[in-house]
Amino acid sequence: MGFTMFLLGLLYVGLVVALLAAGTGAALMLVIVGALSLSQLFLSDKLALSAMGAKEVSPEEAPGLHAMIDRLCIQADLPKPRIAVADTDVPNAFALGRSQKKATVCATTGIMRILTPQELEGVMAHELAHVKNRDVLIMTIASFFASVAAMIMQFGFFFGGGHSDDDDNPSFLVVLLVSAVVYVISYFLMLTLSRYREFSADRGAALVTGRPSALSAALMKISGAMQQVPTQDLREAERMNAFFIIPASVKGSLKSLFATHPPMEKRIERLSELEAQLQRPAVGA
Amino acid sequence: MGFLDSIFGGKSKLSGPAPDRLFAMTTAQVHLETALGLKHRQTAGIVFQALGTADFSAIMAEAEQLLRGTAEETGTLLHSSDDEFGYRWLVLEDPDFEDLVVSLNTVSSELQDGGYGDRLLACVFAFEERDDRAQPAEPAASPKGRTVYLIYNFKRGAFYPFVPAGEKSRDTERELRLKAQIGSELPIEADTARWFPLWEIPL
Repeated sequence: MGFTMFLLGLLYVGLVVALLAAGTGAALMLVIVGALSLSQLFLSDKLALSAMGAKEVSPEEAPGLHAMIDRLCIQADLPKPRIAVADTDVPNAFALGRSQKKATVCATTGIMRILTPQELEGVMAHELAHVKNRDVLIMTIASFFASVAAMIMQFGFFFGGGHSDDDDNPSFLVVLLVSAVVYVISYFLMLTLSRYREFSADRGAALVTGRPSALSAALMKISGAMQQVPTQDLREAERMNAFFIIPASVKGSLKSLFATHPPMEKRIERLSELEAQLQRPAVGA
Repeated sequence: MGFLDSIFGGKSKLSGPAPDRLFAMTTAQVHLETALGLKHRQTAGIVFQALGTADFSAIMAEAEQLLRGTAEETGTLLHSSDDEFGYRWLVLEDPDFEDLVVSLNTVSSELQDGGYGDRLLACVFAFEERDDRAQPAEPAASPKGRTVYLIYNFKRGAFYPFVPAGEKSRDTERELRLKAQIGSELPIEADTARWFPLWEIPL
């Protein structure tokens, strides 16, 4: 974990140095991407909710879900987030929002149908753990430099070609090269970071509910159900993967490297370790 | 530590209870009754997560036994129930308000000593509000007057009012007024986003 963060940090420092060396054009780009990232941070929750067809629900509309989250918030010492429900059969849940005060947690009607109350509680506690850990903010910041790099690369590919006859600007090529390297590496490091944060959200959920096994059961049930729902829904849902409790589809032989979430077996293994810890007497442990 | 916590994905431990301010309730109750005309319903409850472990069950059994022991002198009645969200309620009945608070404290300290303080959710006190100046616009209140709750949140070490008004709705105006009335007597939760309702309180 520490090594991942170290590598990410190193990359970004390298990128910034390269950008500064390249001069004003690059600095302008940094500002543009900064503005884009900020607006993403401020608008993404609304966009994501509407992309999922999710609607905020009042305590009157979803009394059970509200009451469950009320209790989890007391236990997790969090202010009450907004609660939304998406009307889809895809059994999933996600958390959005840049801060604890502005958070929204969303469950689909599918997940509420297939899980028992205890399992659903585990899943909602996992989402609240993301809120508590400020994961949306951290992943946005972590992706900031990756976006900068991606933009420079695109910029370079679109406009760089026209300048190939005047070769007195080699620094731009350097920036392009650095950006490409930064982009590729930071992409994988970010996925690693995301997987770590999934583990810690699982752990947080298990601590808050005191029922690691209920979350395990929920994860197994959801991943089982994931294969049964129509594929069109799955593809629609795919771009939301990073926010989901379980990604909508896993493909490719390099899946563990490309995955935003750790493999299911690892998550369940960690949860069962927690359950074992919990079964031991608390005092002296 | 805070910064590293946020990078590495949060604390690995659940936050435990805040410094105990439960006993502030005993003095506040006098004020509630004499100045505000809110009589206590002779009952109070404590709600926590009952873990499915042998160790936890043993500690709970011990706490209940301790309570039943003192109950013979104080005359406190005790019953427990599990709600639909998997939380356990211990409900105490006693005409003496101080005995109620002491008994609740016994349960919470037993759990804390056993290492399960982080499982404590809240204590709930019920008061009866006589509708002397009943507003005609309001639907007919029950003849006994309605119940006003004060909830003690263990994590925050603070109280907040909860006034249910029918099915899953609450009388926020009354709650805010209550806050103004007893704010000097009780540590009240400042953040109203944390005035979590507890529906179907079994007392």
